[in-house]
Amino acid sequence: MSVNGESASGPQESAPAAAPAAAPQLRNAVVVGGNRIPFARTGGAYTRSSNQDMLGAALEGLIARFGLQDERIGEVAAGAVLKHSRDFNLTREVVLGSALAAETPAYDLQQACATGLEAVLGLANKIKLGQIDSAIAGGVDSASDAPIAVSEGLRGVLLDLNRARTIPQRLRILSRLRPRDLAPDAPNTGEPRTGLSMGEHQALTTAQWKITREAQDELAFNSHRNLAAAYDAGFFDDLITPYRGLGKDANLRADTSIEKLATLKPVFGRNLGAQATMTAGNSTPLTDGASTVLLASEEWADAHGLPKLATVLDGEAAAVDFVHGKDGLLMAPAFAVPRLLARNGLTLADIDFFEIHEAFAGTVLSTLAAWEDEEFGRNRLGLAGAFGSIDRSRLNVNGSSLAAGHPFAATGGRIVASLAKMLHAKGPVGGRPARGLISVCAAGGQGVVAVLEAR
Amino acid sequence: MTGPQPVILGEMPSLAKLYVNAAATAARRRVLGTHAGTALPECSHEVRGVKAEVTTLTAYQHLIGETASDVLPAGFLHALAFPLAMSVMNRDDFPLPLPGMIHLGNSVLQYAPLRFTEALDLRARVEKLRGHRAGTVFDVVAEVRAAGQDTLRWRGVSTYLSKGVFLPGIDKPTVPTVPSAFSAPDPTALWQLGVDTGRAYAAVSGDFNPIHLSVLTAKALGLRRSVAHGMYLASRALADVGAVKGDSFSWDVAFEAPVFLPAHVALDISTVQDNDGGWRRSDYVAWNARSGRKHFSGSVAAL
Repeated sequence: MSVNGESASGPQESAPAAAPAAAPQLRNAVVVGGNRIPFARTGGAYTRSSNQDMLGAALEGLIARFGLQDERIGEVAAGAVLKHSRDFNLTREVVLGSALAAETPAYDLQQACATGLEAVLGLANKIKLGQIDSAIAGGVDSASDAPIAVSEGLRGVLLDLNRARTIPQRLRILSRLRPRDLAPDAPNTGEPRTGLSMGEHQALTTAQWKITREAQDELAFNSHRNLAAAYDAGFFDDLITPYRGLGKDANLRADTSIEKLATLKPVFGRNLGAQATMTAGNSTPLTDGASTVLLASEEWADAHGLPKLATVLDGEAAAVDFVHGKDGLLMAPAFAVPRLLARNGLTLADIDFFEIHEAFAGTVLSTLAAWEDEEFGRNRLGLAGAFGSIDRSRLNVNGSSLAAGHPFAATGGRIVASLAKMLHAKGPVGGRPARGLISVCAAGGQGVVAVLEAR
Repeated sequence: MTGPQPVILGEMPSLAKLYVNAAATAARRRVLGTHAGTALPECSHEVRGVKAEVTTLTAYQHLIGETASDVLPAGFLHALAFPLAMSVMNRDDFPLPLPGMIHLGNSVLQYAPLRFTEALDLRARVEKLRGHRAGTVFDVVAEVRAAGQDTLRWRGVSTYLSKGVFLPGIDKPTVPTVPSAFSAPDPTALWQLGVDTGRAYAAVSGDFNPIHLSVLTAKALGLRRSVAHGMYLASRALADVGAVKGDSFSWDVAFEAPVFLPAHVALDISTVQDNDGGWRRSDYVAWNARSGRKHFSGSVAAL
């Protein structure tokens, strides 16, 4: 172990006790690479596959790619948004079923659609602090194999039955059961406080920011076109391992066109009349899939002869008060990004790749519209004027969720691994490392954003 | 390979039909007093281009506790080849009655992984007819290759006892094997097996032998209750050994007392390392958690 600064010259015992503690020097956390399984549409190739199966498959591919068999990793963190209660230790169970050393600790986390990115940021911070040298972040979700709970009525009866001692007690409890209690309780994408689905929330935001149908369809078209081109160029060859017979994201429509997208009927915000612009084509479908990212200190990556694609520079979470409509449900990144860039002395012009998660085309476009809006910049962001515009040719250049699909917790890992690879390939830009910005919105009015720098 | 040309079947035989046919053949032979000689048929049966069904694979992996990768578990390959093995034992020139046959043990060599996306060539034959203090023993050898390829990827040898059947010209071993005294170690796992265990494994393996399905069907065949499939138990032990076994390994099991359902089965897995700390093999033994009677034991070892 090395010792910093002056204290290195003298023996430890003679170090002055009253010396001011030096600010700890943070080391870098780098992205070594990633692996995911192709994303399937709900009811598709992974219909019978559980979260544990899919996360295990993504992890097994990562282990094979980077030779991690029998390796004790500092920590593995992953999560799922739709999770069975029996999967309380999902990530640790996946580690135990994998070829990693059984001595690898793991924990689950959950921050809705931001789960994967938050896993990356939390583990990167531990690496920066020197608490761990290597880490695997991941995320998985299955809309096909979603947990279904019993109704509140039946649950109450079952719990009381368990506590009952005598047969008459049990009979009395059972007599409370009503036919309606037997209806199962399936998860939905509705916000608990508003009862509105995520799509209905976004429809309000999309209308508020006057985002046109044409602009949304164009963004969706670009997503499919860019993802198809990335596959054609072999971009995903070292980012994806096939699973259950699926080799490519099943949602990808390489042959879609603006004209085809224009024929789809609105599915969200239909009560908005002419302002109903959100279709199945410019909204992300429910998807099944999993992703993993290998993070490390520079020393660990070097010692294992592994690549260093990008540095995890910094991250920021934000939340908005969406419940009574002060801000749109998915608008938190519009606040998180300005704070993150300001803290790092950066502007939108300093970013070479923008990875803005396409929950809906309207989400991306509303965020960009807010940043370009003078009033929003002044009144909501506390700036002198508009936050700024981005160079649209730098946006989601290898496709994003509209084309790839969005298995909630898996999206962060998908983006981090892809962006790290893009940054590494780009190298320095005008004497500085290429930079990429990731923005992921999440249920509950939250958002997590991050900046990565090329190595 | 020597011997007659293999019989190539157009498709995987139906186990249900084979079981019915086996029962009918046994009854006919008993009534007519005929038998099919004292030698095993020499020809092998083959099915080519077999593909595993992904839904069944996933259900198998979930039931057994295998990591649900695209690699076909060694026990799944046994189940896949089982109807073919049965078809050999169903031949008219097969000398032993199938009903009441006891699975004594199994020995598998997994040379290289096979994925569910690959088409497979399966081959099965019977060999090594020999005497046993309780009847007559023989081996069923099953082999799996990727379709059209010569390289053997999986080989399973199942040893069966035809209890109470003594064929002329085959001597009993003079020294009866003495069962070794077993004292149960501390378990590393406890399995609670419900009465539906046999039905659940039948659903993923296709082996609907009535002795595994229910108390009634088992009683009809002379057992006091239904018993768990031996390969279900051995496959769970294999899954418990985990990913440490890698892509190529050997896997042996010797069955002793049957597991009557429902059951509490205790299992111990002990790992043997080589000098540099690498995994060499995992030995397992399972016993009745209440009575301490040994059910089965075996080993998974690096190839």
